[in-house]
Amino acid sequence: MPPKTMRPNPVMPARYRAGKPVAPEPETSEEEESEEEAQQKPTASAPKATSFPSAKALSNNLKNVDLNARREQAAAQEAARLEAKRIAKAKEEEGFETEDSEEGSEEDGSESGEESESDEESSSDDGAARRKMLRPVFVKKDQRKMNGVSAPNGKSEEDKYAEEEAKRKAKADAVVQEQLEKNAAAKAAGKKQWDNDEDVLDAEAVDDTDGLDVEAERAAWKLRELRRVKREREKIEQEEAQIAEIERRKNLTPAEREAEDREFLKKQREEQGDRGKMGYMQKYFHKGAFFQDDAKEQGLDRREIAGAKFADDVNRELLPQYMQIRDMTKLGKKGRTRYKDLRSEDTGRWGEFGDRKGAKNDYMDDDRFKPDKGYQGGGATGANAKPIGERKRYGDETVRDGKRPRVED
Amino acid sequence: MSSHQADAKALLDDRGYSGQLIRGQNPAHLFEKAVRDRITESYYWKEQCFGLNAATLCDRAVELTHIGGTYGLMGKPTPFLCLAFKMLQLVPEKEVVLEYLNWGGDEEDMEGDQVQVDDDEERARRGEFKYLRALAAFYIRLAWEPVEIHKTLEPLLADFRKLKRRTRDGFTLTFMDQFVDDLLTKDRVCATSLWKMPTRMQLEDLELLDPRISPLGDEVEDLDKEDGDGKSMNGEESDGSVVSVESRHNGRHRERSFSYGSESD
Repeated sequence: MPPKTMRPNPVMPARYRAGKPVAPEPETSEEEESEEEAQQKPTASAPKATSFPSAKALSNNLKNVDLNARREQAAAQEAARLEAKRIAKAKEEEGFETEDSEEGSEEDGSESGEESESDEESSSDDGAARRKMLRPVFVKKDQRKMNGVSAPNGKSEEDKYAEEEAKRKAKADAVVQEQLEKNAAAKAAGKKQWDNDEDVLDAEAVDDTDGLDVEAERAAWKLRELRRVKREREKIEQEEAQIAEIERRKNLTPAEREAEDREFLKKQREEQGDRGKMGYMQKYFHKGAFFQDDAKEQGLDRREIAGAKFADDVNRELLPQYMQIRDMTKLGKKGRTRYKDLRSEDTGRWGEFGDRKGAKNDYMDDDRFKPDKGYQGGGATGANAKPIGERKRYGDETVRDGKRPRVED
Repeated sequence: MSSHQADAKALLDDRGYSGQLIRGQNPAHLFEKAVRDRITESYYWKEQCFGLNAATLCDRAVELTHIGGTYGLMGKPTPFLCLAFKMLQLVPEKEVVLEYLNWGGDEEDMEGDQVQVDDDEERARRGEFKYLRALAAFYIRLAWEPVEIHKTLEPLLADFRKLKRRTRDGFTLTFMDQFVDDLLTKDRVCATSLWKMPTRMQLEDLELLDPRISPLGDEVEDLDKEDGDGKSMNGEESDGSVVSVESRHNGRHRERSFSYGSESD
């Protein structure tokens, strides 16, 4: 029964309040009584949902017992059962038992076959509505015919369950068996448990079995051994040669040593070849210290970028001063330096002293700074023309009292 | 000797290491930190190298199929490298390592007559497990003293068996004598920077070693007599390829000599 109030909170039990009735009022009780009477009448004749036939119905049936009628009833029941079976089979896919078939199956036990006809009609009428999912209704155990297969076999539930279990177990066993076989095969092939790599093919590509061709192996070994011996010998000879060379140079005089060095350097320069002259403001690239061997392999170790000329090389002298930079990538960037080259940045006067006599003095050419007109005198002019006495000479006799103030006695 | 621990915690402990030292250092430091980490995080190390001792290490080494350092993009270590690291942890005794090496050098001289007859027998005597031998050689190069290294590894230059080597990009074929030669001369083998050993010449000068007598011995002298210096060798063919030996470059000597010019007074 749905709760009387549709509120989320459950209905609390009624509390006792003094002076107020506890039980529901008599008006509602009257309504209930009338409902009960109405219900009793149909129950007397044909209750649709009861499991147990009422006593009255039973006694009525017993009075009206008739063998022929009974036989007809039995036949009708058979037909009805078959009908119900068919219907149940047809609905196996949906898996739901409708109330119509429920009624048909239940009525067989208690009622006459007339109901089955109505059942047929009702079933045909509800053909369209059968697609809808109806409320599942409880079916008695003997009337349950869900699996058309198991019912005729007569197997009980437990047997079926056991069968399924056995099947599942068999499947699991098969899977485990497969795994074990795979492991064994892998082990046989040489892969180890810890080794997840798929390198078995690679490993097998290289064959390390001995004794395939003993002569060839022995010959190869001889070759290697000889190579090793030769290598050792060469090393020894090199060492000895070095020591001999050092000894020899020790015994020479310094002059001879220098002569030898000069010769060697000359030869070296010849071998190197002339380096081209660097263009105006050409960027300098150092050849680097590390990838010499790689460069040698590619034949690039004798490169000289100093005198290189590109096809689209622009002569920097023709550019405006702002663009005459070594590294054109810096053009327009804040990080670009104004440094051009050392010579232009130099502010000193290197090596100029002592070269010029009568150094140019622009100040004396200007008329404003020349001495006054008619100046022929010595060095003193203007305020310096005051007469002065003779110069004191060292060693002359001086009049000691010359400057003493004279005071009358 | 301290008790043997199943895992390598004591070995990898940088500060508190108190086990055996190799040249005054924690043996694990013979491998670089990066390589050490890769080894310790690999599945092979975790599964297979746990709780090994000298005997069970043999079992693992026997299952080896290739030598190599790290491979692949991620620098995954080979089982060979993991076992070598385990050996560094264990620091086995000299006799044990020699047993791994399993080189019956003296036996050959005694049975000199029979050697030529049956190659299979000889090979069987030399030891069936070449990867175990390669592992021992690697360990010797890392852990022992120079004189002993030379004395022990040089006889192996006569073993010409094939080895599979795993490089960064795949597998290559190499030979035992080639591998041993690399160990003796190169700086970096199998993802490890081998510690710098005095060269053979230096040791000879110090009178610690005798000059090496190649197993070819007589043949070398014969060749020298026939061809002289700087000529190509003929007759030695392997797999159909003709071999010629590089002639000495005379100019090289002069360049070298002049480079010392400034030093002398």
